[in-house]
Amino acid sequence: MSFLLDRRKFLLGAAGAGLAAGGLISFPFGLAQAAETKPITDRKLKIALSNSFIGNKWRLTMENLFKSALQMEPYKSEVEGSWFNSGNDVSKQSQQIANLISQGVDAILVDAASPTGLNGILHQASQRGILVVSFDNTVTEPTGLKIGMDEFNFGVLWAEFVAKKINGKGNVIMVTGVAGTYDDDERNKGGDSVWAKYPDIKVVARYTGMWDSAVTQTNTAAILPTLPKIDGIWSGSGTDGVLKAFVEAGRPLPPTAGTGENGFRKFMTKDGYMGQKVDGLSFDDAPFESVIALELARAVLRGTYPRGNVVLPAPAVTNDTIEVGVNVFPDQPDSLNCLFTDSGKNALVQFCIDAALNGTPCEGKLEVRLPKA
Amino acid sequence: MPQPKRKAAWIRLVEQNAGLVLSAVLLVIAIVLYCAIYYAAQGRLPGGFELTTTVNNTMPLVFAGAAQAIVVITGGIDLSVGGVIDLTNALAALYLGDSPLSMVLCTIGVIAVGGACGLLNGLLVAYGRLQPILVTLATLAIFQGLAIRVLPAPGGSVPEAYTAILANFEAPYSLVFIVVLLVVWALVRRTSIGVGIYAIGNDDLAAKSSGVKNLRSRVTAYVLSGMLAAVAGLFLVANATSGDPTTGNGYTLRSIVAVVLGGISLFGGRGTPISAVIGAFVSTMIVNILFFAQIDPLYQSFFEGVFLVVAVLLTAIISRLMRRRAVA
Amino acid sequence: MDSPSALDPPAEAAGPSAPLLVECVGLRKTFGGVVALNDADFNAIAGEVHALVGENGAGKSTLIKAIGGRIRPDAGTIRIKGQAQALGAPEDGHALGIRTVFQELTLLGGMTVAENLLIGREPRGRLGFIHRRRMGEEAEALLARMGIEHIDPLALVEETSLAERQIVEIVRAINNRPDILLLDEPTSSLVEREVNWLYGQIEELRKRDTCIIFTSHRWHEIRNVADRITVFRAGRHVGTFEDIDESEAITLMTGKRVSTLYPAVPPLPARDAALEAKGLRGGRLNGVDLTLHKGEILGVGGLAGHGHRELFFSLFGAERTSGGEILVGGKPVRLASPRQATRRGIDIALVPEDRKTEGLFLGMSIRNNMTLSVLGRISSAGVLNFGAERRVAEEMARRLGVRMQGLRHPVGSLSGGNQQKVLIGRWLLMEPRILLLYDITRGVDVATKHELYELVSRLAGQGHSILLYSSDAEELAHLPHRVLVMREGRIARELAGPDMTAESIVSAAVRDTAQS
Repeated sequence: MSFLLDRRKFLLGAAGAGLAAGGLISFPFGLAQAAETKPITDRKLKIALSNSFIGNKWRLTMENLFKSALQMEPYKSEVEGSWFNSGNDVSKQSQQIANLISQGVDAILVDAASPTGLNGILHQASQRGILVVSFDNTVTEPTGLKIGMDEFNFGVLWAEFVAKKINGKGNVIMVTGVAGTYDDDERNKGGDSVWAKYPDIKVVARYTGMWDSAVTQTNTAAILPTLPKIDGIWSGSGTDGVLKAFVEAGRPLPPTAGTGENGFRKFMTKDGYMGQKVDGLSFDDAPFESVIALELARAVLRGTYPRGNVVLPAPAVTNDTIEVGVNVFPDQPDSLNCLFTDSGKNALVQFCIDAALNGTPCEGKLEVRLPKA
Repeated sequence: MPQPKRKAAWIRLVEQNAGLVLSAVLLVIAIVLYCAIYYAAQGRLPGGFELTTTVNNTMPLVFAGAAQAIVVITGGIDLSVGGVIDLTNALAALYLGDSPLSMVLCTIGVIAVGGACGLLNGLLVAYGRLQPILVTLATLAIFQGLAIRVLPAPGGSVPEAYTAILANFEAPYSLVFIVVLLVVWALVRRTSIGVGIYAIGNDDLAAKSSGVKNLRSRVTAYVLSGMLAAVAGLFLVANATSGDPTTGNGYTLRSIVAVVLGGISLFGGRGTPISAVIGAFVSTMIVNILFFAQIDPLYQSFFEGVFLVVAVLLTAIISRLMRRRAVA
Repeated sequence: MDSPSALDPPAEAAGPSAPLLVECVGLRKTFGGVVALNDADFNAIAGEVHALVGENGAGKSTLIKAIGGRIRPDAGTIRIKGQAQALGAPEDGHALGIRTVFQELTLLGGMTVAENLLIGREPRGRLGFIHRRRMGEEAEALLARMGIEHIDPLALVEETSLAERQIVEIVRAINNRPDILLLDEPTSSLVEREVNWLYGQIEELRKRDTCIIFTSHRWHEIRNVADRITVFRAGRHVGTFEDIDESEAITLMTGKRVSTLYPAVPPLPARDAALEAKGLRGGRLNGVDLTLHKGEILGVGGLAGHGHRELFFSLFGAERTSGGEILVGGKPVRLASPRQATRRGIDIALVPEDRKTEGLFLGMSIRNNMTLSVLGRISSAGVLNFGAERRVAEEMARRLGVRMQGLRHPVGSLSGGNQQKVLIGRWLLMEPRILLLYDITRGVDVATKHELYELVSRLAGQGHSILLYSSDAEELAHLPHRVLVMREGRIARELAGPDMTAESIVSAAVRDTAQS
């Protein structure tokens, strides 16, 4: 029966197999380096994008723009880029970032699966002198840089546009996004803060559009018959759907402030859409944030831009600035998010449509204007 | 009666622990492959940092996998593992505090909460005679809801000392906790409850007829599972250094993957939580291998799926071959 | 069925003089709509071996389960050692010194023999934890004390044979030193030698004043060991006897007169080989040669674990062979799967022993179970023709005499013998020329056995070739034309004519290789 003793050894041995095989890996451990401050000017920069998931169009466009930028100057010759997805799994993203640290990248751009879940590993990255830039879903880790848009201000801008157009008086509707999310809360609060200043503006309906044009259209169509004349639309969700429901109900289109769907912008062109025209203001969170992050990382590492968080201005388009082929695309579907590019002379960055759809480079050099530091 | 030749002890051990052996072999293969690919990509072998981050990132899954394994051995399944992790993660982020005393109390309290979650599952499954998959699907939602309630938005902080103990960034000290887990399990296995957990997984009625306390064994299995899931939540929060009431969600599925990669039969009664620990490391290794193999990120999950199927298929085929040999 | 009054039963035994250890009065138990026990009375005393006989479905197993605490009767009283007891769980029985060896074994397959033997009384170390090494030693010692040396206590139960499991189950029950030991079909998977071992154990227990209640379908063993015999029919106590002969007992059990158990062997037509095996190897098979003729019943006997199972499964394509040849109708065939074996032109069918795990779907209807093999034939364009299905199933149920409430009822509601008939029916529907019957009468009551024997004999008469394995040497001695005895994976002896006796079959099976 002596092998019963062996059994114990065996179990320990088998369980320890991982450690045994891990013995390949050498101790002792390198100590964390001090954060690097000297600009890197003599070589290509290694910059990686760690994206938590690619399950929706916004994220897909975001990654496509990143890929496109890497193939355009100045990034083509200055940056060696790579990108990874983690299926919205925090520990997987954490492990991928650990692997990026192993690779010795200079900067990691993060669209995070959790605002806090990556803090441990990102802290280690910073300790090793790696620049961390988080955008879109940013992280709370204090040593990294953050790029964002002011969602509260989105709500304010939309509401102020409507208020001005209707001279501070009339009935408006508010179409909200996915309840309970940070972005939706902030935008709604921003909108409400403006309405509070206009006692003659009445929000006659407030309902969710779930950030989905089809839902927006259905919900709007359902509620419209119960509503009086509408003087203004504030839509944080699928604005093209709202307008289509108005058209179908045979109602005129009031001034509308909302998101950045191609369908919405088609109504804003001088030829209009579906026989109607709208006076509008259109913008949303922009997928090109990944490229802003890329530029921020490049500039900070090269020492040409100070370390610091960046708040981006809303990439707004109005009837005055709308331009076919630049920020509205008549031959593309209504669902296209036009925020893959900014427009105008102060544009943050401008992309061609192929970059958004396929990740292919656009002609010429890519110019990214970071806000004045 | 004739006394036929008995098998050599080591053959018997390999045969009776086929799942464990296979998962260990799988892990060794994965590590070798990882080192090779890493060497090809980086021109050096992985070192201390790689080992430490791999271990720290895997620790939550190690405990979640063990939690899942115990319930799977009883012939059940625990979908609420992710919910318990969410809840305990949130509680720890809020209440760990800064003093050693508060950390100890909070750790004990969090594990107790995990045990209470398991108790609820166990009572519903054992006394309510409900199917584990239904019960734990419902409690998953309940625990997730409680987690959001406790910590509505990600935040809270974990004292550095706590992170240094559970997820030390300098060295893989947390491997010590795996040893603790193994020792605890070895002891549990040597109690009537431990025997009962296997017995009810083999055959509930037969276990009852053999005088096993079925209900008590089943409830205890779920309580142990809840406590281990709570420990997973602690490791998760320590590694992240902050709380998030939703990061545990993925662990329900990942813990089942760890169990399967560990070669534990989902039919119950066979296998050991130790192989789920190994399965957890295999699962992290797959992420590492795909990373350094420079697979197009768009196809990562595709390849992960392929890896999983191949691994499970290999395990199944080899254990079938071994069984055939055993019968012959 | 004739009314019982038309029979003249032998004199019942006088009431027991010793105090009653077990006393059941007016037990009633129904499962769904089926009455398993109907106002049943029963009693047993210390130090007696009490046999319970009856057809399958007569209520024997239910009675055993009720006394053992595994089921709770709907009505009636159970008194143990003079006290009325409400037994609701096996633990209750254990507390009163009652141990049961159930017909469906209650061992835990994924655990070792030692763990199973000592479950609930494992040796503990100093800190109160189970001492695994001592457990192995204790189990080994326990088995040795009971004269069992061939079972490895550290083997998983699922690695052991059915007979070994049965022995482990019995050892475990005895080891708990019960006052009342209930054995439900303890010998059904044991061969002669092991049965003798069990008799020895029973004798020991009797000397210790244990009350042993057992059920069996093997008459000679009932006669050999039982002090008293209680006959059950349709959930009722029919009578308790100290001495009763087989045909009387069968008459009481069935309510019908049965002349002889075994039908006459049908004459053998011309010696045309239907199925041949030449030098078959693989698994436990070590070069098997055999020839099964057309219309022949060829018996295969021997001790468990000597390759019968592998032989039958190989011939059915369910087990892979590593060498040798199989010929059907003189032509070599390759049988890599049961599908190939059942193909037209080969037409081999196998009826396995364990109908619960190897063939029947207990929750599905009798009709569905029967027609499973011929779905293609009773479908048109892939759509099942329900009418045809019903007709086919009805005809077969009638032909086999399946006793049932209706074709729609689940197979699980049938008695064991009738389940076996459904399984045979399924294969007969395929009109196989060659039938492999693997211990089909195991655990089947005498009356059903008789019917199955007649069926086998009739099938042979109709030209089917039948290869028949049985663990019952009596059966092998009477039913087939010839008997092949297997030992160590090959045919050790062929017996025919007057040599074909149960004794010669058993002795051929156990003789040492050196002597042959």
